[in-house]
Amino acid sequence: MARKAALWILCVSGTLIATALVTAWMLVGGDRRMLLIGKTTDAHHQIETTCETCHAAAPFASAAAAAKALNKTCRNCHEDALQAAEDSHARKLFRSPRMAVYWEKLDARLCTACHVEHRPEITRPGAVTVAEDFCVACHSEGDQDVRKARPSHAGLTFDTCASAGCHNYHDNRAIYEDFLVSYAGRPWVASAPVHELAMRSRAQKPPAEAAGKRGAALAPATALAEQTALHDWAGSGHAAAAVNCAACHAPAAEGTSRAAVEAQWIATPDSAICEGCHKTPAQTFAQGRHGLRRHPSLAPPRDPSRRLEAIGLSGLLPKAAAAWLADLPPPMHMTVAEARLPMRPEAAGESLHCGTCHQPHAVNTERAAVEACASCHDGTHSRAYFGSAHHELWRAELAGQAPPGTGVSCATCHMAKAERGGKVVTSHNQNATLRPNEKMIRPVCLDCHGLGFAINALADADLVARNFQGKPSVQVESIEWAVRRTQETGN
Amino acid sequence: MLTFAEELVVLLNDEDGAPVPVQEDALACALAGAVLLDLAFAYRIDTDLQTLVVTDRTPTGNPALDRILAKIAARPEAADTRTWIRELSVDEAAAIHEEMLSGLVERGVLARQVEKFPWNLRTPRRPIVNGEAAQGISRRIRAVLHSDGIPDPRDIALIALLDACDLLADVFPAAEIEQCRARIEQLRLMDLIGRELAGAIADIERTIIAALRARSARFRRLLLHLSTIGGLGATAVLLAPRIPASDRFGPSLLQSLWFDELWQQWSGYLLLGFSGAGLLAMLLLKVRPVARLGGGHWWRLAHVGFGLCCALLLFAHTGFRLGANLNAALMTSYLAALTFGALAGISTNGAPQLRSMGIPPKLRSILTRLHRVAFYPLPALVAIHILIVYLY
Repeated sequence: MARKAALWILCVSGTLIATALVTAWMLVGGDRRMLLIGKTTDAHHQIETTCETCHAAAPFASAAAAAKALNKTCRNCHEDALQAAEDSHARKLFRSPRMAVYWEKLDARLCTACHVEHRPEITRPGAVTVAEDFCVACHSEGDQDVRKARPSHAGLTFDTCASAGCHNYHDNRAIYEDFLVSYAGRPWVASAPVHELAMRSRAQKPPAEAAGKRGAALAPATALAEQTALHDWAGSGHAAAAVNCAACHAPAAEGTSRAAVEAQWIATPDSAICEGCHKTPAQTFAQGRHGLRRHPSLAPPRDPSRRLEAIGLSGLLPKAAAAWLADLPPPMHMTVAEARLPMRPEAAGESLHCGTCHQPHAVNTERAAVEACASCHDGTHSRAYFGSAHHELWRAELAGQAPPGTGVSCATCHMAKAERGGKVVTSHNQNATLRPNEKMIRPVCLDCHGLGFAINALADADLVARNFQGKPSVQVESIEWAVRRTQETGN
Repeated sequence: MLTFAEELVVLLNDEDGAPVPVQEDALACALAGAVLLDLAFAYRIDTDLQTLVVTDRTPTGNPALDRILAKIAARPEAADTRTWIRELSVDEAAAIHEEMLSGLVERGVLARQVEKFPWNLRTPRRPIVNGEAAQGISRRIRAVLHSDGIPDPRDIALIALLDACDLLADVFPAAEIEQCRARIEQLRLMDLIGRELAGAIADIERTIIAALRARSARFRRLLLHLSTIGGLGATAVLLAPRIPASDRFGPSLLQSLWFDELWQQWSGYLLLGFSGAGLLAMLLLKVRPVARLGGGHWWRLAHVGFGLCCALLLFAHTGFRLGANLNAALMTSYLAALTFGALAGISTNGAPQLRSMGIPPKLRSILTRLHRVAFYPLPALVAIHILIVYLY
């Protein structure tokens, strides 16, 4: 009997203790990795332990409140990109009561209607968790029936809408009908292909007055003894813009005395120093996968003492227990080891911050545009770049054998340049042109290629894997259909 | 001289003091029968087809026997042997067992020890210290079984009792008992006891056999089949490929079951309810007044039935997807509880078949313990699972 009683006591107390412990992790603080119910989607996996970033509703909120809060957090991070993409199925379109008939089929007011986290089994490319033929929900009946409205679509199945290079749910900027018609008939490559913004970017010089401010490098003697660093800096844009040692290594003491600089010297400045001046790159870096952990919308680690106070237990737990309940702060930077794409094994220890791609002293943007990428990425597409036509153009430009802007580096396509306030800036959000890959057509491909060729090339997965060595074997008929329909309707 | 009940307890206690794993019903009936045999051999009771009556109220000197004798004598209306076997096996078996153990300790046959394992829990053990006395019983029975001589009537009665309760194969190797089957039948027919005593002994044995067979015949096969289905289901869970999610948009029962939160809540709470009901059925079996209803078999049947329902509901709730992290731990623990439960059911209800295959009876208790151990983390994991669902 004593044994049975002891077992019962052990079982009940163990259950209560384990439940209380995990409840404390949930409500107060602590490592919550074990609570994850399934593999998080790519990119989001970097922030999977900052649960409140997405699960923003109060604990035990109603299902409706939780869903509302969850969807709001999606928009916190993705709304800008959707607006820039001129979202074809913007949320506001579906909030109208006249769209209520579609809510039952697929509630497009909610991001979570199509994108549910932690469901690896049903997660498709683009973090989509509905079946590929989801367009059937709304476009198979009444005046929305595309098979009736478009005779060319009569024999098509709904699983080909998004898979054949014709339509995207959100971003159709490069594949909508009028655009297809206006760009129809262009040659596969322009007679003098050049990336205009890249060309202008290379022509940008530091302001003339900067050269006059270049002063003696104030730094500790040990730092000044590093000849390579000094040499790299002297040839860099930083030196040209009069950004001296102290600007990065002792920003608080910049412009004061050597003694003050030495006293406040930071041997390895972090990315926050770079962000102080390079605001736009830093902002876009945090929007992409490389810098996601620096996104401003991420929930900060929970403060266990405040949480305990909120539930009236602040005085009950000793400090050590409260400290033990503290959230694990997520690493400041993503590491290569965490990547889900093929990476070079020797790069596994690297983390992604400004200095990873831009050598801190040389700040070599040419290296950052190709070699830095290839020092980590080891996928088929990455490896196939070297020796490709794009790579040859890049080499020719670097060698001065071709005009500026004619080369195609990794950054040319994946960190497309844009114009802001009359200045050319490089978007460090590599996600902006990544997926669906038609997003790359307007800001990148059309600089040199015809629309038809670009659509076909991007729809050809094998050609993409070969880094566009060869011609597309896929023929997307959307331009022909759009032109034919325009001719038939006379619009 | 040891009583029948004491000899039975010694035989069912291994040298380390751990009880030999036997069917609870059989042990309870055997203890009840042994006490009645002791009283019959002491000429304190007699039986006929309708009643079991006390013929002599003089105490025997053995506290346990005298307590039962007083209980029988105290009943105003006469009851038959079947009633007393049922009543003693349900109400008194545990007490008789404990009294016999204590008596054997006092007489120096067993010792009293406390083992602090596992988890430093105090587990009482009664190892045999007088090996000669203990081995003497086995030797005596073996001698009777393997010879053609004229045995002692007490040995005949003990062998008949063990055989009636299907315990011989738990005490001796199954193959040995099979070899001696003809001799056991021969012993049954021997008329070495006075007519009146022989009648009482035969009545007790008949009643025990009838009681056990009636219960067994009704339920054992059903329980065996259900456990086998459960075992096959559990194997399928581990080996069969998962049914993939549909590639077509639109209503799908399986898709709704596995990925719709509302459906998952229903299946989840049903699963929780059926799991609780299964646990309750087993716990109620330990409560004597409840266990008396149907003699425990109905509760076992309910336990196995709820287990099978749980397996079906688990399929509805998860599609047998293991999940990740704590969900994976929950599924692993649940599947282990189901699997070991099914295997324990097979080993318990298919004991004769397994014995003939040479599988040791100890397997039954190992599987039952594993079934329980797999259950222990479930309440915490289920509570955490529900909390996670509602918190996030």
